[in-house]
Amino acid sequence: MPDQQQTLSVPSLLLLAAFAALTIRYFFFAKPSTSSPPTNPRAANPADVEQIATMFPQIGRREIIWDLQRNGGSVNATTERILGRGSLDPPPPSFQPVIPAGVTPSTANTTPGQMKSEHIDLITRYNLGSRLSSPPSTPPESSGASGSQQAQSWSNNKNERQALLKRRREDMILGARRKLEEKERTRLQQDG
Amino acid sequence: MASTIASRRLFHEYKLLTSSPPDGITAGPVSEDDIFLWEALIQGPDGTPFEGGIFPAELKFPKDYPLNPPTMRFLGEVWHPNVYPSGLVCISILHAPGDDPHHYEKASERWSPIQSVEKILISVMSMLAEPNDESPANIEAAKMWRERRGEFEKTVRDGVRRSLGM
Repeated sequence: MPDQQQTLSVPSLLLLAAFAALTIRYFFFAKPSTSSPPTNPRAANPADVEQIATMFPQIGRREIIWDLQRNGGSVNATTERILGRGSLDPPPPSFQPVIPAGVTPSTANTTPGQMKSEHIDLITRYNLGSRLSSPPSTPPESSGASGSQQAQSWSNNKNERQALLKRRREDMILGARRKLEEKERTRLQQDG
Repeated sequence: MASTIASRRLFHEYKLLTSSPPDGITAGPVSEDDIFLWEALIQGPDGTPFEGGIFPAELKFPKDYPLNPPTMRFLGEVWHPNVYPSGLVCISILHAPGDDPHHYEKASERWSPIQSVEKILISVMSMLAEPNDESPANIEAAKMWRERRGEFEKTVRDGVRRSLGM
């Protein structure tokens, strides 16, 4: 009997030692990441937040940071969501991220229906600013009235389809913008 | 079960709209991961103050589509008697056969499974050209359209320019 107790205490001693080691490690080395277990503690990159905030001035930075944190920091995913739905999910009241200094947290007490007064234009919405100044990408049929003849095609590949659709949207908007610019120019020439 | 029927039908409509799109209309799901949320671009009809404009709208489909119609909401500003200030479009083809709150719509004009996204978008396009004065969704716009047509047209044209970033 005493023999058995002797042998038992070796493993339990080891166990105790392991437990002690873990406890010490827990107290001394694990300070930062203990407080917020449910949310992804990965902080959103401030540059990404700024980029999205510039693109969509109507969206608050708090919402942007919240969305970025939840999707693992993907600017694309957040942008897509804003474009698709016009807004982001409101973060819980307890979520109070550090918002970059010098920037007023545009909490913009806008009820969903109310914010319609300050619409963003299509160029901003579809992020087409960079393509405005560049010449039309398909020169032969850019300014013609029937610019959509070629673009209409269906792909069996999901991503390709998505890209084609995006392309058609962008061409439609850029086409309209160019037409309007042209109209403006001829009007100015006639006036002056 | 119902929602697989709905997504199959929506996918089919997406394919049709892509391979032979009606003039001035581009439409499709925002992302194919959710076939029940679409985004459409509608070109303003020629010969109207909306001419030259491109109007983005979102369409939300119910899980029992095509039994019930989608809702449609313009995402930018659209100053029009039949568009609520929130962007929501109010035309008969978007109303389910059962609910006619005002009793002036003919059943044939309202939603039924034989209608389609394409027909909705074409109806909305012609609605832009010819407002329906009987069911104003935007009272202010309706009043302006009725009483001060010049001002209405200017308001719309200014909106078109703004929306294209000019």
